[in-house]
Amino acid sequence: MAEHDITLTVNGNEQELTVESRTLLVHALRDELGYTGPNVGCESSMCGACTVHVDGKAVKSCTMLAVQADGTDVTTVEGLDQDGEFHPIQEAFQEEHGLQCGYCTPGMMMTAVDFLDDHDDPGREEIREALEGNLCRCTGYQNIVNAVETASNKMGGSGAAAGGDD
Amino acid sequence: MKPAPFEYHRPSSLAEALELLADLPDAEPLAGNQSLSILMSNRLASPDHLVDINDLAELSYVAADGQSVEVGALVRHREVERSGTLADALPLFPEAAGKIAGPVVRNRGTVGGSLGEGDPAGNYPCVAAALDADLELASADGSRTVPAEDFFIATMFTDREEDELITGLAIPREPFPPARTGQTFLAVKEAAQTWPTLSAAGAVRVDDPAADEPVVEEARVALANAAEVPLRVREAESELAGEPLTDAALAAAGETAYEAVDPEEELHADETYKRELAREYTKRALTTAHDRAVA
Ligand SMILES: Cc1cc2nc3c(=O)[nH]c(=O)nc-3n(C[C@H](O)[C@H](O)[C@H](O)COP(=O)(O)OP(=O)(O)OC[C@H]3O[C@@H](n4cnc5c(N)ncnc54)[C@H](O)[C@@H]3O)c2cc1C
Ligand code: FES
Ligand code: FES
Repeated sequence: MAEHDITLTVNGNEQELTVESRTLLVHALRDELGYTGPNVGCESSMCGACTVHVDGKAVKSCTMLAVQADGTDVTTVEGLDQDGEFHPIQEAFQEEHGLQCGYCTPGMMMTAVDFLDDHDDPGREEIREALEGNLCRCTGYQNIVNAVETASNKMGGSGAAAGGDD
Repeated sequence: MKPAPFEYHRPSSLAEALELLADLPDAEPLAGNQSLSILMSNRLASPDHLVDINDLAELSYVAADGQSVEVGALVRHREVERSGTLADALPLFPEAAGKIAGPVVRNRGTVGGSLGEGDPAGNYPCVAAALDADLELASADGSRTVPAEDFFIATMFTDREEDELITGLAIPREPFPPARTGQTFLAVKEAAQTWPTLSAAGAVRVDDPAADEPVVEEARVALANAAEVPLRVREAESELAGEPLTDAALAAAGETAYEAVDPEEELHADETYKRELAREYTKRALTTAHDRAVA
């Protein structure tokens, strides 16, 4: 029981792997499957750098065991683009200079996409609240908020319609 | 750091989960893992077995009738925050949920996990103390009900036996008719991500909100992170009861809170500062609850 055969569908690709009970989802994604988009910052559910979607919902993948994710659909930042076209959130981060070193960026984008999925036309205060669980040591957040606002506009005020989430 | 090795179990029913907790030595329930994972990654906890209760759909309910409001242990903070039923019946509860960490933590963290860890800084323990909640516990041998005030014993120490699960909590509605009650949950936090330095849950019921001087029939106030347990400040409550709200009664309530707390010092909050917060936030919680009751 200390090892488990699990199936994860990551960005649409079904993958089988064997994990220890204690393997965190973020480590399975990075070390076993090679998805290095989710970063490890704190391993304590604080920084948000490891945020991915599990069955469409944002989750800090350092606080989920890989075995718990057995049978789920996982989306990492690598799964946001569609056919080589950036997701609006990716375009917006580029245009608004929403990143500097980029360490927090995958988590910021995954949190923002989950948020925009059910907020059509959010105000800046709402955007700030949505990003409360994601820390950035570089940008001072201003441009990140700008980027999420721009992405929301690009998505035509209907977050669920655009992009490659899920 | 990696957690120490353990075995993982994923029961699909409450009965199966309770059997596992009864049979396995050194087993720990696993809910949202927003607290346990931190303890385990830092090797402050290293259980031999984790019993994952995330598949127990039977613990995922919010229900209200005329008598009580019931909330299952597996309800996520996010669901509490967005529950229309709770917003109508006990608005303090969703308000407290919305003040836990950021939305991604709230997607996973659960009511039962928050009560189960027994952190005196926790939002729900404070709500449970203020609203006289009953905690429902189950083991393979049967179930029992424990009032919130008896459940929390000391920091991270509760009345739960190792083979028991919290299945939910029940809150009596009789003291809180929505039309005559106001409630609030206030948290003092250095940043959205941090646990509160202090929080205050308040509820006030008046006789007639439309009266010129509505009389306070009952007041409730509980403080989080102000003592070893979520602290109900009954002396402060009785300062308000039986008369219209006055500045003098509020000031007296604040003074009793200042005296009643027994706070642990923290890096950025020494004892005096926390006592002052207790005084101020007791007043603010009661004022806000009162204003909402008469609005
Ligand atoms: C960055 C951050 C900030 C936070 N800030 C706050 C805050 O301001 N206020 C606040 O209240 N909380 C805060 N939390 C904690 C949050 O509420 C946690 O989600 C919660 O305390 C634990 O819930 P969980 O479902 O994740 O439990 P887990 O982490 O899975 O479990 C916690 C403990 O409870 C036990 N347990 C779980 N479920 C049950 C059950 N049904 N019966 C018996 N025992 C059970 C477990 O065995 C474990 O010992 C914060 C967390 C983080 C990561
Ligand atoms: S690494 Fe997961 S929240 Fe920081
Ligand atoms: S861009 Fe460097 S941490 Fe955010």
